[in-house]
Amino acid sequence: MVKISVLQHATSVHLPVRPGDPTPTHRNLNPLQHPFARARERIRALNAAKMERMFSKPFIAALEGHADAVEVLSRRPNSITDVASASWDGEIILHNAGRRTHVAKIAGAHQGKISGLCWADDHRVLSCGADKNIKMWDVRLGAPLDSSGAGPSQPKPLAVFPGKGTLHSIDHHTTDPLFATSSTIVQIWDETKSAQVMDITFSTSAESVTRVRFSPSEPSVLASIGSDRTFILYDIRTGKAERRIVMQMKNNDLSWSPTFPTSILLASEDHNLYTFDIRRLATPTQIYKAHVSAVTSCDWSPTGTEFVSGGWDRTVRIWQDGHGTHPEVYHTKRMQRVLATTFTADARFVLSGSDDCNVRVWKANASEKLGIVTARERSAIEYRNALKERWKMDAEIGKVQRSRHMPKPVYKAAQLKRTMEEAQRVKEELRRRHTRAGESKPKAERKKVVIAEQS
Amino acid sequence: MKSGSSMDSLISKANTAIPKSLRPTGPVPETARKYNHIANKKLRTTLQRQSANTERGKALLRDAELLLPNKAGKMEAEVDMDRTWRISQDEIVNSISVEAARGRKEFTLDGGPYRARYTRNGRHMAVVGQKGHVATFDWQTGNILSELRLREICRDITFLLDHSQYAVAQKKYVFIYDRDGVELHRLKSHIEPTCLEFLPFHWLLATVGNPGYLKYQDISTGQLVAEHRTKLGACVTMTQNQHNAVIHLGHQNGTVTLWTPNLPHPAVRLLAHLGPVSSVSVDQSSGGRYMATAGVDGTVKLWDCRSWKDALRSWNSRGGDATLAWSQRGCLAVASGGAVNVYSPPSIHSPNPGPSPPPLYLTHPQAAKPHASLAFCPFQDILAIGHASGISCILVPGAGEPNIDSSEADPFESSKARREREVKLLLDKIQPDMIALDPEFLGGFAPQSQPAEGDRGAMSFARQPRLHRLHIQEKADKTEDMSEDEAVVDGPADSSNPSKRDRIGQGKRKMRSKDNSLKRYLRKQRKNVIDPRAAAMREALAIRRAQARSGSNDRSKSEAERPSALDRFHYRL
Repeated sequence: MVKISVLQHATSVHLPVRPGDPTPTHRNLNPLQHPFARARERIRALNAAKMERMFSKPFIAALEGHADAVEVLSRRPNSITDVASASWDGEIILHNAGRRTHVAKIAGAHQGKISGLCWADDHRVLSCGADKNIKMWDVRLGAPLDSSGAGPSQPKPLAVFPGKGTLHSIDHHTTDPLFATSSTIVQIWDETKSAQVMDITFSTSAESVTRVRFSPSEPSVLASIGSDRTFILYDIRTGKAERRIVMQMKNNDLSWSPTFPTSILLASEDHNLYTFDIRRLATPTQIYKAHVSAVTSCDWSPTGTEFVSGGWDRTVRIWQDGHGTHPEVYHTKRMQRVLATTFTADARFVLSGSDDCNVRVWKANASEKLGIVTARERSAIEYRNALKERWKMDAEIGKVQRSRHMPKPVYKAAQLKRTMEEAQRVKEELRRRHTRAGESKPKAERKKVVIAEQS
Repeated sequence: MKSGSSMDSLISKANTAIPKSLRPTGPVPETARKYNHIANKKLRTTLQRQSANTERGKALLRDAELLLPNKAGKMEAEVDMDRTWRISQDEIVNSISVEAARGRKEFTLDGGPYRARYTRNGRHMAVVGQKGHVATFDWQTGNILSELRLREICRDITFLLDHSQYAVAQKKYVFIYDRDGVELHRLKSHIEPTCLEFLPFHWLLATVGNPGYLKYQDISTGQLVAEHRTKLGACVTMTQNQHNAVIHLGHQNGTVTLWTPNLPHPAVRLLAHLGPVSSVSVDQSSGGRYMATAGVDGTVKLWDCRSWKDALRSWNSRGGDATLAWSQRGCLAVASGGAVNVYSPPSIHSPNPGPSPPPLYLTHPQAAKPHASLAFCPFQDILAIGHASGISCILVPGAGEPNIDSSEADPFESSKARREREVKLLLDKIQPDMIALDPEFLGGFAPQSQPAEGDRGAMSFARQPRLHRLHIQEKADKTEDMSEDEAVVDGPADSSNPSKRDRIGQGKRKMRSKDNSLKRYLRKQRKNVIDPRAAAMREALAIRRAQARSGSNDRSKSEAERPSALDRFHYRL
């Protein structure tokens, strides 16, 4: 006897039970049933990379209203949408970035430019400027109205603190009613007192201090950068400057990491950004290289995994923490020098204030879809992301993922910079080859940044 | 509880894929690697997560294989003396259900001999008679899609992506018809075609004809992608390897050549037979590892496509030139003489130096000659034999793959699914220059560049590749075994490929040119100069060489008996 069975497909398994039902699907994971699995996956990854580029439309809106360059941006605590901006003509505007409206507008808050802006709490803003005054404003609805009720007129500050020299920066203490300002010295003020509480200087320095920031996690620690190329850490409990480093070039902005308390980010005049571990200030933990001109501003994302920087080269760049090259680049034809950048509190958007009187809203992830994403769409997005991650080493896919269109001047400047750096490298190598062996050792790029460390 | 209900609402929609981030994850599998030797915490976590994902994927794959619903058909002798080949088609038909027996069909048609082809999902069949009778139909329902009388010689037919279009090799050109038999295209660049093959993942229609040109036409863009002159005359046999899209041609002088669009010469040239090659077929069940060829000299040979060294086995088929076809599960059908013989997998693949044929699995007498074509129906135990008086479909238990993957080819798909798949296939279309003998070359390691020793010395430490620098600093991680950790994103695991590992580190050796211009100049200068010292030396050398030659002749016999210490090196060469 011979046992015989012949393959037979039951139609009930393969056809929908009722009309309108989806047709049942079956999987057979045997690799022989999936020829060219790898080649097809690569094509899908390539398509995913191309789609990401195709859908990357990061620019959302320009928030208008200023009549001069916007130098400072400060996001409102406990609010996702509200951001205060101040310009060189002494005007402060509180924007609602979601609705693109003005929540409050304080024209002529200062004589001359406003160089520092921070929030004391949810509704009070502190500003300082070239007119040597520090002013506190209430931005609640109806608050800035005049007492006579004759329509909107010049609002009155809640308090005015007279400073000594031209003020460059202001920052509020995380918990206490204290704030710090910087001119040629760093001063600590109490909100309730009209004169400063404390003056802190590093003994030998007489140059102006351009930025001052309180640490968010260790509230009594204060960091500042100055035009004498220094970065200084203070403790307001001791009232002293604790540590100081002198760098190759001066820094333009600094930002404390919101999630990693010892990490601090510096935006430098030498086109680079640096992250430092404040426990070891001799070398930066990472150098971020892509700007082709001075970096004027920087801000961490609330997640602490990425940060945004704006540069004199008219671009905004978004960096991944610890990844020193190939940032996301945003630019427009009309955007001028970027003077201020900030992330929104939900880490989804980036704001930039620039020389052309505008505050621009960008997506933090350029190709992200705004609006409701269905489960199916989300799984497709996740699959595409996984593919991109898996195939990023492929030459063609990697190229699509990395390449960005640049404005011609930026592109040319980057090219020139590369050429110069390469020439410098070759020169050094040749010089080293023609000196006695072991006499001059190559110095790591990271070790060139800090010239002196003092405490 | 709340998350559970929202998850249920997602799952209940049958077509909704749950995003990976919302899928429940089990504990980390035991077999996942720990990477304790890696100091960098972030890297370690990433690697651990990857390894855990890979392990989970493997476990899912094992489960999925266990849970495959259908069993393959089979024919088994219960008593030792029974032979499966004694079973006739009538006996098979009588012993199975009526529904399953519907696959056994005889189509008696005029104008033969006929050739038959199936679509990739096995639902539709296209037949062409030499006199110009063309028909496409759904063989399960008997629904005729189109029927044409072309009134000229037609040599081959093939469906394109699915049953909605098909190409016919006619007397002068290749024509493309749509499902209703309306002529869509006349491909004038394919002259006197004899064979057609369609490469579905590349959207390429490959043809070869009497002029001996192999042509690839991209049917999505309409471009003629490649045109290769075989220089071996008219060609009447052609097949494709479905796993690497290489085209196999059999020629009049007994050679079999393997072609890819990006090479102007054959990737492999093989002298397979002493006479013309009558049929070539590639085994899909082994991932394209085995190829069978049949020649007019009456032999059938089985080849291992990885080595090409010698035929694994060869035997004489009765009645001369045979026609061959492999099924999805590795049954080899050989039509020759008055019968169609089928050989089944484990025995057909085993090498055998002798001239005996492999044990027969099934045989079917088919008197009407010539047998123009053999085609196994995908996902069915059916073999279609095209012959002079029509088409016969016989039942071959165990020939077809029992489990369908709807994402690849589904005989029961709706028209909407068909349309959707066409779009998906177009999006995933692989470029023609990606065709290579080894389809797994993508995503592998690039061969390491090995600079010449002199260059390495001059190259500064900072300029060397990172791996070299790590090796110099003795920081390179030597414990890493790359083969274990191929992260699975989706889809099936890749079939193991022994050749991949060999390729790693096998850099291209660049040779310095021996013939630079200065040397050439100097050589030219001294060409006509006779230096007495050099002449004397040359003479002395010639004498010594002659002595050595004669001496070796004298000694050769005595040395042959005497074992030498150097003998052990002899055989290793």
